[in-house]
Amino acid sequence: MIRLSPQLRAAIQRTTLPVLVLLSGAVIILGKADQLLFDSLRTRVTDTVAPVLNAIAQPINAVGNVVDRVKMVVTTFQENTRLEAENEKLLHWQQAALNLDAENQQLRGLLKAVPRTAVSYVTSRVIANSGGAFVRMVLINAGSEDRVGRGQAVITGEGLVGRLTEVGDRASRVLLITDLNSRIPVTIESTHVPAVLAGDNSERPRLLYVPAGDTVKVGDRIVTSGEGGVFPPGLPIGVVSAVDTGGARVEPYAELSQLGYVMVVDYGLTNALPQPLPMLSRPSRRAKADGVDGVSR
Amino acid sequence: MALKVFTIPALPRVNNGAARLLPVATMLLAAVISVLPLQIPGYAALTPVFTLMAAYHWTIYRPDLLPPIALFGVGLTEDLLAGSPIGVNALLLLLTRIAVLGYRRYFINRNFPFVWTGFALLTSVAMLGLWGLHCILNLSLLDFRNAVIRAALTVAMFPLASFMLGRAQRAVMGTG
Repeated sequence: MIRLSPQLRAAIQRTTLPVLVLLSGAVIILGKADQLLFDSLRTRVTDTVAPVLNAIAQPINAVGNVVDRVKMVVTTFQENTRLEAENEKLLHWQQAALNLDAENQQLRGLLKAVPRTAVSYVTSRVIANSGGAFVRMVLINAGSEDRVGRGQAVITGEGLVGRLTEVGDRASRVLLITDLNSRIPVTIESTHVPAVLAGDNSERPRLLYVPAGDTVKVGDRIVTSGEGGVFPPGLPIGVVSAVDTGGARVEPYAELSQLGYVMVVDYGLTNALPQPLPMLSRPSRRAKADGVDGVSR
Repeated sequence: MALKVFTIPALPRVNNGAARLLPVATMLLAAVISVLPLQIPGYAALTPVFTLMAAYHWTIYRPDLLPPIALFGVGLTEDLLAGSPIGVNALLLLLTRIAVLGYRRYFINRNFPFVWTGFALLTSVAMLGLWGLHCILNLSLLDFRNAVIRAALTVAMFPLASFMLGRAQRAVMGTG
């Protein structure tokens, strides 16, 4: 180690704190002015820490599973009655769906419609959240090694969670639909009215740019519109839970504060698959189910 | 700003490597704990500020072992991990050091309720500052309620954190 004179050492000690305070201030301003400036640093740090977080997240998930199991045991009887009723209803729907699917296939054949783009999924675990900060993001343990790419949609079985904003080798960051900076092109399913779903850090994001009039009402389903071509159209997001003068609020289907496993939707933009035609290709549920090649982690 | 703020009175020397690393290690641990995806509804938005607790504890009892550069590093790491605007936590931890060192002599050898009250004051100011800074960075008025609940949770969790840090300190350094 280099020997410094006591005066010099004292001077350095006195000045480090104010210098670092100024440096933090400068970093904040720089990071705000140029969002991409620290992106590679961020990706590298998350990639490095990901294995640690991954290891810690496993027992946490296990504990969560045990809690769920206990809850399930307690409510088995009620749950069973409910599920039987639901099953009966779903069997009717299944018949309806099969009929419609057969009819759909026939009509597509008659129209010589453009084949739908295959959609594949990468399943991944949430390994970190944003820790109370004024952002709504999570880290997942899938990265470019698992062939996920920036901008792809992230979903759970229930609905849309968010999209990938940073992709490292082993870990990626998901911007949740509730984050202040999240803007998702959506449509109101019943009326096909386009809108933008904008997060504001609250649990229920707002619908923006809905045309004036009675175009949106409580209970309307909100799905992705697929505009921009990165998200598949028709991914369920949530239902309109409140409409007032300030606009409508959407209750997401996905439990965003309790994410365990999520799926990254690969719509073919980062693969060798041909570019999708957003105007013509409208994958239905069936198409998605066909395209599953879930890389389970 | 008075220069004496930045000078630290002589503390018992610690030569043991593990003991020297303890404050920085616990700070890093606090940063990792705060991003753990606990599956509790609403927890992510209200996670207590664990690094603030550790920074407060070590700045009172062993400021020599938690130098500004370490606070800066841990703060940046936390920002990078959590996805929050880079530099915010680094600034928060450094300002905490300035504030706590300024009043440190009042806190030494005082009973716990006094130290806890000091932490409550610090947390209130810190959360207000964080909220204000995020409002400016996002150019919009953010919900203040989350910040209030977060501050309350942070203050409520402090006795446990302080107890554990104190135990670790005595176990590794032999002083408290």
